[in-house]
Amino acid sequence: MASRGRSPAYRRYFRRHIGLTVLYLAAIALATWLVPDDAPPSAGAVMLALLPGIAVLGWIWSMGRLLVELDDEYLRMLEVRKFIIATGITLAVVSVWGIIELYTTVPRLPVFFVFPLWCLGLAAGSVSNKLTFGHDTGTCK
Amino acid sequence: MKNRLKVLRAERDWSQQALADKLEVSRQSVNAIETGKYDPSLPLAFRISDIFGLPIEEIFIRG
Repeated sequence: MASRGRSPAYRRYFRRHIGLTVLYLAAIALATWLVPDDAPPSAGAVMLALLPGIAVLGWIWSMGRLLVELDDEYLRMLEVRKFIIATGITLAVVSVWGIIELYTTVPRLPVFFVFPLWCLGLAAGSVSNKLTFGHDTGTCK
Repeated sequence: MKNRLKVLRAERDWSQQALADKLEVSRQSVNAIETGKYDPSLPLAFRISDIFGLPIEEIFIRG
């Protein structure tokens, strides 16, 4: 019932993820097309720029739902482990880089990159799971 | 925590997948428990106990 290929929780997760990715790409294309470069923060420009953010919120929600819906405690532990490792890496990188920014003239890290960085952390979590347990869930985003 | 899952499974000629199906978990879960990489929760330990018809302490060994 709960093997990775057959688990309804994973099937639902991948379905949601694909739908949200399509929404994200469409929203990025729309915002890029309609909002000129260096546009002032007018209500319309902000609304359009927020559209991709809704898809990002959806990704975060779908990852949370996966943890709730996974009925296999071992696979859930592997997922949680990945999330913790990703969060640790993200906090470490942005905090340390932020301190360097305070004292030097290094380029500022755009906050847009925090979520992709967290997703890279998931990949590190997958590697850690594989090395520690010999298994991974393969849901690295 | 050590356990006798592999021996008990072999005595019944069950594959890891067969035991996983009975427990309604993934084959990876059974493998991780057998190899001592993962200790199951109390509810899952009770399900394992029920399936083998043995008390938990005869399946899982302290230490």
